[in-house]
Amino acid sequence: MATENPLVLPGDEIDPSLIPTHKTKPLRLGPGLRHVPPNQILPTLAGHLIADHRKNALYVEYNGGRYIPSPSDLVIGQVTRSAADLYYVNLTPYTPNASLPHLAFEGATKKTRPQLANGALVYARISLANRHMDPELECVSTSTGKSEGLGPLTGGMVFDISLGLARRLLMARSRDVGKVAVLELLGAEGLAFETAVGRNGKVWVNSESVKTVVVVGRALKETDEKELGVEQQKKLVQKLIKEMR
Amino acid sequence: MPREAEPSLNERQFVLKALEENLRLDGRTFDKYRALALTFGDEYGVADVTLGRTRVLAKTSAEVTVPYADRPLDGIFTITTELSPMASPAFEINRPTETEILLSRLLEKTVRRSGAMDTESLCLVAGQKCWSVRVDVHVLSHDGNLTDAACFAVVAALRHFRKPDTSMEGGVLTVYTPAEREPVPLSWLHSPFCITWCFFGDEGQMALLDATWSEEQVRVGSCTISLNRHGEICQIAKLGGTPVEAVALLQCTNVALTKAKEFSTYLDKKLAEDAKRRDKDGLMAELSAENDR
Amino acid sequence: MPLDTSAYSLALLRVDGRRWNELRRVHAQIRTQAAADGSSYLEMGHTKVMCVVNGPSEPGPRRGTAGGGGGGGGPGGVAEVAVSVVVAGFSSVDRKRRGRGDKRTLELQTTISNALAASLHTHLYPHSTISISLHVLSQDGSLLAALINAATLACVDAGIPMTDYVVACTAGSTSTYAANDETADPLLDLNHQEEQELPSLTVATLGETDRVAVLVCESRVQASRLEGMLAVGVSGCHQVREILDQVVRDKGRHMIKEGTVEKGMGVEEMEVD
Repeated sequence: MATENPLVLPGDEIDPSLIPTHKTKPLRLGPGLRHVPPNQILPTLAGHLIADHRKNALYVEYNGGRYIPSPSDLVIGQVTRSAADLYYVNLTPYTPNASLPHLAFEGATKKTRPQLANGALVYARISLANRHMDPELECVSTSTGKSEGLGPLTGGMVFDISLGLARRLLMARSRDVGKVAVLELLGAEGLAFETAVGRNGKVWVNSESVKTVVVVGRALKETDEKELGVEQQKKLVQKLIKEMR
Repeated sequence: MPREAEPSLNERQFVLKALEENLRLDGRTFDKYRALALTFGDEYGVADVTLGRTRVLAKTSAEVTVPYADRPLDGIFTITTELSPMASPAFEINRPTETEILLSRLLEKTVRRSGAMDTESLCLVAGQKCWSVRVDVHVLSHDGNLTDAACFAVVAALRHFRKPDTSMEGGVLTVYTPAEREPVPLSWLHSPFCITWCFFGDEGQMALLDATWSEEQVRVGSCTISLNRHGEICQIAKLGGTPVEAVALLQCTNVALTKAKEFSTYLDKKLAEDAKRRDKDGLMAELSAENDR
Repeated sequence: MPLDTSAYSLALLRVDGRRWNELRRVHAQIRTQAAADGSSYLEMGHTKVMCVVNGPSEPGPRRGTAGGGGGGGGPGGVAEVAVSVVVAGFSSVDRKRRGRGDKRTLELQTTISNALAASLHTHLYPHSTISISLHVLSQDGSLLAALINAATLACVDAGIPMTDYVVACTAGSTSTYAANDETADPLLDLNHQEEQELPSLTVATLGETDRVAVLVCESRVQASRLEGMLAVGVSGCHQVREILDQVVRDKGRHMIKEGTVEKGMGVEEMEVD
C-alpha cells in the first residue's frame, strides 16, 4: 500500500516508475498535480499519489481544504434565495452562491417547477464550473431528461464530513478502495435509512426513526474524525448499535 | 462581511425533532458537557481550554502603570476578547459583533465585577504606581458555548499567573526578575464559572447544557448563570428570548451549581498537577528558600 | 454614601419610606409624539424614560452596529426589531458621557430587542424593521425595567400585534452577599441607592404569566436568595402589568370620548364614562 500510493509533498519529485503509461490514451493529471514543461510533473498538494493505470490518470488524494466545484460533481446545496428564474444555492458556507435554474428539474415547466423555500436542501450535479465564475447546478440529466436521483431533499439531516471521506464514500467500490464500510455495516445491522453524499463534504441521511439518523451521523463523524479503518469501523458500529438498543 | 452561515430547514427541523425524543446529535444527555480539557503553557498565565471542538486561549500579562485618577488605591484589571476570522469567517477584526460584545460584557460581570480578584492588592504606590493585569481571550475555534469555555480559560489563566515580586524601600520601587525572586500569584478571592443553558421548543420547555454551534443556531433563548463553588451567584444573564417558566430557571440554577463545583474541582486538580510538574526537581523549594533569607 | 440598612430592621421601612413589597409611583402616558407610529413616556419613581416606535416599515439603509440585532433583516421572514438607547448626559448625578459604542448600552439594546422580538408577532411583517428608540431622561435605578416597560407601551400604541405585554421590574434582597442571615427580606423595585448597595436583579415576564423573558442579575448573591427575589420580582411584574394595562385602557376610553376613533367591535363592553 505504502509503495503503491506513496505520500508526496508539494514540489517532490515523482518516481517515473509510478507514472502510468498507456499506448493510446494520453496521460491525464488530476487534482494536486501540475505539469511543468517540458516533461516534469510536480505535486502541488500533500497527499497520497494515486495512479489509475486503466484510465492512464495520476492524481493526489488529499483530505482537507475547501471544496472547489468541478463539473459533474454531485453536491448537496442549500437554497439561500430565489430570483426570477433561478435559485441561489450555497455549497459551502461563506463562499459565493451557485445558481440552479428553476427549469433544471425533472419535467419542470414554468408552472410545475418545484417551489423551494429558503433553507431547503437540494441534491444536484455541477453542470458548469469555471474559475472566477459562480458555478451552475442542475437536478436533471440533460441527455435523458430524468432526475437520476437528484432533486430536493426533504426531511432527514445533513452532516458535515471531510472532503476526503465524501470522495471515498462516492467511490464505486467504497469498501475495498475507499476503506469505508460504516454505511454497509449499519445497513447489515438492520437499520433502514437512505443517504445522499455530496462531494462538498455533506451527507444527507434520512430514516423513519430519528434515532437511526443520529446513529448513522455519529458513525460517519467518528469514522471521519478518528480516521478509522474497516476493522475499527466494525467495532464502532457494534458499539453504537449496542448503545441504541 | 460574509454573513453567518445559517442551518438549512432540514437541520433546524431535525435538531428539534431529535430533542423532542430526548436525543442530541452527539449522543450526550441534556445536562452533560462535552469533554473539557485544560492545558497550561510553559509561561505562567497561559491557559488553553478545549470544550469539544470549541477552543479558547487566554493569556495574562501584567505591567506597572499609573492608576486611574478616580481610583488611586486600586490596580487596573482588564479582560479583552477577540473573535477573529480564525474562529469563523463571519467575525471581523475591529468591528465587534453582537456575540463579541455580549461575551466581553459577560466575562466582565462574571470575573471583574464579582470581585474575583482583589484589585487593591495590585496597588504599589497609592495614586502613582500600580499593576495593570490584562487578560487577552482569543477564540481559536468556535463550535458553540463560547462563554463557558472563555470564562473557564480566563479564570484558569488568572489563577495560574504569577506576577513579578516587588519591594518598596525608601520610596524606591524595585521589580524583581524571576531569576532574582520567585514571582508571586495574584491575590485571588473566589473562582466564578459560567454555565449556559439553552432553551428549545415553542415555550422554551427543553433546556440543554453546553450546546454545540448547530444547536445554538436553533435555540429560542439562553441563560448564562455564573456561580462559584460557595453557591454564590455572580451574575445571571437571560437577555430576552422566549419566556421560560420561573420555576425551570430555579432548577437550572441548582444544576448549574453542581456543574460549577465540578469545574472548580477540575481546575484545582489541574493547577496542582501543573505546580508539581514545574517543581519537578524541588527547584522551586530551593529558590523560595533563598528568597526567604 | 453607604446606605444605612441597619434602620430597615427597626421599622421595616426602606430609605424612601416604602415597605418591602411596594412599587414606586409608576406614571405612564402613551401617544405622546404625534409624528411617530407609537410613543410612550414612563416614570418609575425618578427614573424617566421616553420611547418612540417607528414601523413596521421597509428597512432603511443599514447603519452599521446601531441596530440592536434581533432579526437581522429577518431570517425566516420575520421583522427585525432594532432598538437604540440614548442615555442623556444629564440623566444621572455625575455628568458622564457615554459613547455610541458603550458595551453596557449595547447590551441593553440587545436585551430589549430580543425580549420584544419574542413577544411581538414579527412573522407577520417579513422583510421589515420595527425601530424602537429609547431616551433616558433621568436615572434612579431599575433602568432596564423602565426601558422594557416603555418600549412595550410604545409598541402597543403603534398597534403591533403581540402575545402579551412584556413587563419588567427589579427585586433585591436586604442581605449583602457575605451575610448569611436568614432574616433577610426580599425587596421590590429598587432605587439607585439600594441598587448600589444591595444584590438586585431585573425580571421581565410575559404579562401575568410566570414565564420569565429577561432575567439579569449583576451582583453577587447567595443562590438560596434567588428564589425569594425571583418570586417578588415576578409578582411585581404582575402589578406593573395592571398599571400599564390601565394606562392603555384609559387612553383608549379617552380617544373614544373625543371621537378620534370609532367605537368598534369588541369595545362595546368597555364602559365609556
